[in-house]
Amino acid sequence: MKQIKYISPRTKEEALEVLQQEKDRACIVAGCSNVLPNLKDKKIAPQILVDITTLESLKGIFKKEGKILLGPLTTINELISSKIILEEYPVLTQAAREFADPIVRNTATVGGNLVTASPAADLAVPLLSLDAIVKIESLGDKREVNLINFFTAPGETILNSHELVVGIEFKQSDINKNGCFMKIGQRKAMAISIATLAVNLDWKENTINQIRIAAGSVAPTPLRLTGVEEFLKNKKLNQELIEEAVIKVSKEVNPISDIRASEGYRRYISGILFKRAIERLAN
Amino acid sequence: MKKMEIEFILNGKKRKIEVKPNDLLINIIREDLYLTGTKYGCGLGECGVCTVLLNGEPVLSCLTLAITVDGKEITTIEGLAQGDELHPLQKAFLKNGAVQCGFCTPGMILTATALLRENPDATEDEIRNYMRGNLCRCTGYVQIIKAIKECTSIKNKGLTN
Ligand SMILES: Cc1cc2nc3c(=O)[nH]c(=O)nc-3n(C[C@H](O)[C@H](O)[C@H](O)COP(=O)(O)OP(=O)(O)OC[C@H]3O[C@@H](n4cnc5c(N)ncnc54)[C@H](O)[C@@H]3O)c2cc1C
Ligand code: FES
Ligand code: FES
Repeated sequence: MKQIKYISPRTKEEALEVLQQEKDRACIVAGCSNVLPNLKDKKIAPQILVDITTLESLKGIFKKEGKILLGPLTTINELISSKIILEEYPVLTQAAREFADPIVRNTATVGGNLVTASPAADLAVPLLSLDAIVKIESLGDKREVNLINFFTAPGETILNSHELVVGIEFKQSDINKNGCFMKIGQRKAMAISIATLAVNLDWKENTINQIRIAAGSVAPTPLRLTGVEEFLKNKKLNQELIEEAVIKVSKEVNPISDIRASEGYRRYISGILFKRAIERLAN
Repeated sequence: MKKMEIEFILNGKKRKIEVKPNDLLINIIREDLYLTGTKYGCGLGECGVCTVLLNGEPVLSCLTLAITVDGKEITTIEGLAQGDELHPLQKAFLKNGAVQCGFCTPGMILTATALLRENPDATEDEIRNYMRGNLCRCTGYVQIIKAIKECTSIKNKGLTN
């Protein structure tokens, strides 16, 4: 058996140094809920585990100048119990409440959910509809990427092996305050999503100023439905428009058939989820 | 593979033990510390039978690296009773016939202790929701929920359906 090493860096800088040195020999571990099943199934074979869970600077939910910053180590349970998230970004609370079960939620982190880049990553969808930015650092360097450009393929992101996600940031705004998340799974608890959809809406006097729509489990990566968003912008919101948009949602998603559902069902249900979400937000 | 020494509190007692970086907490608890109350089911986070309390919070020991519990406090099912006096949840499980084969019971009870600490007045819906990741294959859910409900601070409401 290959040697496997473990390091628990004391500072973020130390973590970045290790990543710089070890590159793809290293595997960052946060809540472990993806890493350990992958290790067990031999899907990954790292030589060194870099445990970031003791890095306080990567924890917490901070409000600053019209923005909110989530540390990547924020757990799903911390999101659920955050008052500011519930009041200002309810779409995220709703998604967190659908996530796995309370035990997994104690350890699973937001950063881990994004970097795993599963097409079914449940937090990616509300974070896309909040127009979140991912803050990334490596030794001596920093960059920010809009979440819309973060995912590249199932399980893949633009992140390099020497880089660390250090924050997830989104704006405090009217549109971010008015959001709705919907999930369809095979059962209520512990189900991998068949389809998820989040909508954030800013509208006045029945006219849509701005809308963001994000969907999960219906394409190789979680995605924004920018075509439908464009179509709806500045239009009067009425039943006819919603019906038209439902068809466009079903067309814009790009699902596959798998053991959980067929492509056709996923297209159909995405439209229905959109309809339910927008009707809830408009009422 | 190089071992590292960790020190933690297990059921109130300080323990020092050497572990490999990729040792799972469940294996250390069962095979090195001989506490077999914690069960191994799916090994993938799906069934909840391996639940232990880590600093009071329920976590899945099959998805926890042993090395990461250094300096922390672990409670397993063996640590709930006070001497010969069973924990109220253990008594309620016995009284309500909430144990059939018993494989899910340690995880159920530990998760329920965390639920009742967070929400002592939990309703039946809240109990079901909180316990959603603890599976029982003997399908004893009705009795399990009843036993937990009996331990809420609004006692003896009985099941609503
Ligand atoms: C039983 C069970 C149920 C689940 N249910 C759901 C569900 O309902 N919805 C859902 O979306 N997911 C679910 N998952 C998947 C998983 O729990 C989530 O993706 C979780 O958010 C991963 O977070 P983690 O902290 O455990 O990540 P880890 O497993 O620790 O890490 C995951 C990946 O991210 C990398 N990583 C972590 N943090 C960083 C960082 N800061 N910078 C760079 N890379 C990083 C790691 O190297 C690794 O590649 C479930 C998993 C299990 C076992
Ligand atoms: S054995 Fe850990 S959840 Fe099933
Ligand atoms: S009593 Fe047998 S699995 Fe629950």
